[in-house]
Amino acid sequence: MVALGLAVLVALPALVEALPARDGGASAADLRDRVLASEDVAFSGYAISTGGLTLPVSDALTGVADLLSDQTSLRAWYRGADDWRVDVVTATGETGTHRDATGTWTWDYADQAASRGTLPPLALPTAPDLLPSALGRRLLSEAADDELSRTAPARVAGVDALGLRYTPADAAASVSEVDVWVDPGTGLPLRVVVRGGDTATPALDTRFLDLSLTTPDASTTDFVPPPGADVRSDQELTDVDLGRQERADLPGTLADLGRRTFDGVPEQVGVYGSGITVLAVSALPGRAAAGLRDQLAATPGAVVDDLGVRIAAGPLALMVAGTSTRDGGSGTYLLAGTVTLDALATAARQIQEAPAR
Amino acid sequence: MIGVELRKLFRRPRTWITIALLNALPVLVAVLLKVTDLAPRPGEGPAFLSAVLTNGTLFPLAALAIVLPLFLPIAVAVVAGDAVAGEAQGGTLRYLLARPAGRTRLLVAKLVAVIAFVLVTVVVVAAVGYVVGTTLFEVQSLGATTGISGTSLTPQQVAGRTLLSIGYITVSMLGVAAFALFFSTLTDSPQLATLGALAVLIGSSLLFTLDAASDIAPYLPTRYWLSFVDFFRDPILWRNTARGLGLQAVYVVVLLGAAWANFTTKDVTS
Repeated sequence: MVALGLAVLVALPALVEALPARDGGASAADLRDRVLASEDVAFSGYAISTGGLTLPVSDALTGVADLLSDQTSLRAWYRGADDWRVDVVTATGETGTHRDATGTWTWDYADQAASRGTLPPLALPTAPDLLPSALGRRLLSEAADDELSRTAPARVAGVDALGLRYTPADAAASVSEVDVWVDPGTGLPLRVVVRGGDTATPALDTRFLDLSLTTPDASTTDFVPPPGADVRSDQELTDVDLGRQERADLPGTLADLGRRTFDGVPEQVGVYGSGITVLAVSALPGRAAAGLRDQLAATPGAVVDDLGVRIAAGPLALMVAGTSTRDGGSGTYLLAGTVTLDALATAARQIQEAPAR
Repeated sequence: MIGVELRKLFRRPRTWITIALLNALPVLVAVLLKVTDLAPRPGEGPAFLSAVLTNGTLFPLAALAIVLPLFLPIAVAVVAGDAVAGEAQGGTLRYLLARPAGRTRLLVAKLVAVIAFVLVTVVVVAAVGYVVGTTLFEVQSLGATTGISGTSLTPQQVAGRTLLSIGYITVSMLGVAAFALFFSTLTDSPQLATLGALAVLIGSSLLFTLDAASDIAPYLPTRYWLSFVDFFRDPILWRNTARGLGLQAVYVVVLLGAAWANFTTKDVTS
């Protein structure tokens, strides 16, 4: 009796999961449009994101590396695009990001510190970017109709979610497919799985475990630094010294990916490509280049040749290319993005061949 | 019969010695903190210990967090493991059963005594923690406490959430008691029953740290023990504590059912 009851209890979650989910009739392009229109859908929920990448990065970037290699538990309250809160919950603490009309407050319990950020045009990924709703919208925002297809529905956070697959068409793409499961009622992405190459483990899998579509209280998303807390302002990526050497202008296309411009992004930084196939290129001061080059070269699977050092971690590729201007070269550059190693090599060659100023 | 068992348990000096020893560690920690003024960083060391230097009313929680991983379960396992096997080893079990009360009633009486011990122990640790915390450290009588989410909690909220934590930890310990009581009906050696329960807990804690065991992690008895921390987030995160209560309930019902089935059909020879 007891054993039987126990067996039923243990098997229950697996049985519920195995029940088929209902499908809906929306076309892939329609579904994408509904996802992109879901920015005003208010919700609160609990999500986990599992990264399958091992990034060989320095201490300065451990935050990003953890996001992409570990499991992150997220609590989210969303009232609108500029009024939300996302907490990264750990066993003994949390880090909460509160967005308001003019910027973000980040509360770090471990440091007892609140820091103010002012929405820089260029920023490293943070935990709120991993929320399925935000990530799904971002990744699908530039997907073309012929890159999209429908996949089987799945039950996510108790919802029969519609399946949508984005297979990037760019030859340079290192992400092989992005699967998004969408709430049929609101178009909210509930689960996003990013796969690169032929590995069985997804590069990233993020999904809601609990979701409620009621609008959370404004008092929940608001933040006022508590008395006694250390108040700082976020260090912005554009504050980083990119070196003052004269450099050649970055070309208009690299590895067949077109350059795009964003307000406020310094000229030494180029962003290429669209959708999920993106390459960022930045001039690198010589002193930073040497350390990073050694670190990449020491990574298993690193390709070292006269173009520079390049590595791939899942669909993410990273390269330190070129030689120092002091040695008569064209300057060193950091190339990073979701492109293949071959595309990186092509891009590095094109930068070197770019006409000097 | 319940009254008899309760009196027997709480008249034993060793019951109170166990509780006193259990309180020794948090008191030592408090004294060391007071003397050195060195608190761990928030998020490191036992939960809430970082905050007690500025707010002594949080020390009951820190005290519970200090004894929760090892000391508290050991104490509970010792008492619950002794419940039936101790009588068998002392040769008194058959005399107890000679009375017309019946085996089920004896088991229920033992169970109530164990539950009473768990409750008394947790409350004593919290109470001693409160007295030690408020005498050794500053007490913010007017100012609010900063919770984990960076919001301010009023003293009433802190008190309410501390009571929730005490209740939650008590329920978590009932799972330990159920393991020990079940083993106690299997063997005539109380030590074996206690060690059996501790082996389960140590195994569970170890598996919880392994990524490879993540599929079975939600079923591990110690999985949600530390989730009482979630009561101090704002809004309170109920997800893990609700699962923790459900999980302990399943363990308690299944193990007590097995203990009852085993004890009522057992050949009692000693």
